[in-house]
Amino acid sequence: MTNSNENKKSLKSFYWLWAILTVLGVAASLYAPGYLMPKSMSQSMHLSILTMVVFSVAAAPVAAGVYAAALYILRNWTHKGDTVPAAGPAFRESGKVVITWTLTSILLTVFLLIWGLGALAADGAGSTSNPLVVKVVGQQWVWSFEYQGANGTTIMSNDLYVPKGREVLFHVTSLDVTHGFWLPQMGIQVDANNDTTTDLRVTPNKLGTFDVRCTQFCGLNHAFMVTQGHVLTPSAFTTWLNAQPARS
Amino acid sequence: MTTTLEHKAPVIKHEGGGLARHQNFLTGLIGGVAGAFIAWAISHHLLAQDVRTTSDAVAVLTGCGWIVGFWFGIGALNAPFAWLIGKDQTRKDQLYYAGEDQGTKRYWKYCTDHKVVGVQYIVMTMVLLGAGGILAMAIRTELIVPGNHFVDQQVYNGFIAVHGMLMILALIVAVAGPWGNFVVPIMCGAKDMAFPRLNALSLWTLVGAAGLLLTTLAVGSLTMGWVVLAPITDQAAVGMDFFALAILVFTVSTTVAGVNTICTVFTMRTKGMTLERLPIMVWGAIIAAALGLYAFPYFSLVEALQILDRTFSTSFFIGNGGGTGWLQANLFWLMGHPEVYVILIPAVAALFEIAAVMARKPVFSYRTAVAGMVGLAGLSILVWAHHMFTTGWAPTLGGPFMVTTELISIPTGLFFLVLIGTLWRGNIWMKLPTVWMFGFIANFIIAGITGIYLSDIPIDNQLHGTMFVTAHFHYVFVGSVLFGAIAALAFWYPKVTGRFLDEKLGRISFWLAFIGVQVTFLSMFISGLRGMPRRYASYSFIFEHTNFLTTIGAYMIMAGMLVLMAAVIYCWNHGEPSGSNPWHANSLEWLVSTPPPLENFDVLPVITEDPYNFEKEMVLS
Repeated sequence: MTNSNENKKSLKSFYWLWAILTVLGVAASLYAPGYLMPKSMSQSMHLSILTMVVFSVAAAPVAAGVYAAALYILRNWTHKGDTVPAAGPAFRESGKVVITWTLTSILLTVFLLIWGLGALAADGAGSTSNPLVVKVVGQQWVWSFEYQGANGTTIMSNDLYVPKGREVLFHVTSLDVTHGFWLPQMGIQVDANNDTTTDLRVTPNKLGTFDVRCTQFCGLNHAFMVTQGHVLTPSAFTTWLNAQPARS
Repeated sequence: MTTTLEHKAPVIKHEGGGLARHQNFLTGLIGGVAGAFIAWAISHHLLAQDVRTTSDAVAVLTGCGWIVGFWFGIGALNAPFAWLIGKDQTRKDQLYYAGEDQGTKRYWKYCTDHKVVGVQYIVMTMVLLGAGGILAMAIRTELIVPGNHFVDQQVYNGFIAVHGMLMILALIVAVAGPWGNFVVPIMCGAKDMAFPRLNALSLWTLVGAAGLLLTTLAVGSLTMGWVVLAPITDQAAVGMDFFALAILVFTVSTTVAGVNTICTVFTMRTKGMTLERLPIMVWGAIIAAALGLYAFPYFSLVEALQILDRTFSTSFFIGNGGGTGWLQANLFWLMGHPEVYVILIPAVAALFEIAAVMARKPVFSYRTAVAGMVGLAGLSILVWAHHMFTTGWAPTLGGPFMVTTELISIPTGLFFLVLIGTLWRGNIWMKLPTVWMFGFIANFIIAGITGIYLSDIPIDNQLHGTMFVTAHFHYVFVGSVLFGAIAALAFWYPKVTGRFLDEKLGRISFWLAFIGVQVTFLSMFISGLRGMPRRYASYSFIFEHTNFLTTIGAYMIMAGMLVLMAAVIYCWNHGEPSGSNPWHANSLEWLVSTPPPLENFDVLPVITEDPYNFEKEMVLS
């Protein structure tokens, strides 16, 4: 009834479709992350956006291939009419296709892993021995920040101030439930736990304001647990710090 | 070309059995409420009133009273008690409990017939999805414009948790429940499940668990997201106790169902039904069941320890008592990630089945399909800590968990290979199940790729806890699993009812849902990329436009689902008659009559090849 050549079509239009969709996907991949994500104010955020771009570009041909295949199938191999379709060609296996597909996906995955692990290492590298230490305290539903002032005094602030170009080490903790300490423009976050302290490092590289938001659901006013951060020049930061009253 | 099977039912007067012959859902409810009341009255009066944990203890005992009373009332305990006092059930009793000659009444009973249980699961899934869907609409309406006050903020926060849990439960059973019960035993050539009474137990225990979950809403206050991790749980009132108990009871249901499915497939296959001749759907059912047996004990453990923390002041998860919330988070995600694949795998397997039948071709590379599902299940138990990348727990484990997580894309890719390979060069029959299957393919690729971003720690450090994550797993659950489940519903609906699901209504529903999913969740990705955290009751103006779009899209999905529900209800009795094998398929469930007779086969068939040879149409001899 059927032979193996039945339903064989030229694949030219499939390849064209795949190529066009890939180009569109790559174009979107290059443009969208930078456009949609917050403006980068640190190397970590830069790395996040760059990794989004790289992964999107790598994924574009895969997604384009699946969409092209689905559209090509719909265009060429749907049965017309109300009758029951005849049996299709009964091929069950193709070692070549399975191996090609699997190897390609392994190669892509290995590439993503190498890039990802490299980015992870780069993110952790470059820690300095003299960071600015800021203690971050979350509680329902406010953030507060503690600095070491002159003569061992403690300075508290409800806005986060950090100097440009110097590494900041956050010791993050909570007084009640778990909060999520997130700096969207810096590309970093870590949970604030009430029974332990977690660390987070970042080196701001742009002047300006940024957001502080909570990413762990923390009760009634979770959505309002926000505050502002400011990146100042080192001298402006010192001026600000010295102007703060020490906590008794 | 028709089957020779005709079920000749001997008319039996159901004598004896006494009160047990009158048990149904209503007596179950009465028993449950009575049990809850008795437990409440006793515990309320006997427990010391001045202890902090008293209200929690009372709540837990009340919930236990509900579930035990419900089991008593509906008749779940009849057979074990009869056995205890030395009275085994007679054949007559067994046929009674299998619902023989009881018409539609049997759907309200503790019925052991796997097909009745399958139908009950269809209804149960739709009820759970409906309840979760109403909450989703409330959530999206609250978020339609910044600063909207459609519901109270505290109530909104509670909706977030219960919406999540209802939908998770609904999707765990959405394919494995109806079709794992209705068609899988017939596909194997079995007369019923290996343990028919356990089958009924799993269904009605799920109903009991759903009752507890809805109680959570009624008593308010579960304002902590569906994951309910310490220490915020410490601030929750008694709603938390009912929630934890609901999960405990639910895990009993899935464990019982999983054991039953596995035993059925491994012990009840008919002669000649080798493992490689099994319809691929059966593989999906047993792989998901096995994975569930691994995963859900963690879930019971988490909730049991949580209940102990709340009622006996233990401190497994309480930091200042020597415990840690991270322990709970680990246990929870040890369950939580495999559970995603417990949900996904049956839907994917059903789509393999549908692709083969609709393209009139064998499943492409059957063994790759099985290996892909097994590989996914195996990897899924090694990836749980990717949910904890940003908690601060064990940063040095980040790299290894990133590796295992990204490896997931390899077996997932095989699913696309099998689906596309099966459709390739076929004669594709564009019916309702096929349409929903193409929707799945389009959505699942987006779900998969966005998952790769989140598996990468530098990206996750930015996107964790944002709407991007929410959009990602909704592409998995709504865009992919729900589309697969609806394809399965459209595919096997004629076997259940003898009628087609209306093609026109089904397609209207498809387009509403398909466009709705893109509008809803693509805009939600953008909210997340722009920096909007999850579980927000309100948001600033910078997220205004995308949230408005998300809400409009969500309404479209709801409209689509309402059309589908109308079609399911209307066509049940009024749809176009389908005959017993409308898709001209060769797996056993299509070869028996519609509806299939009690015990499915008069004579068990002997199998000589797999069901994917569409050159000829098989009949039962």
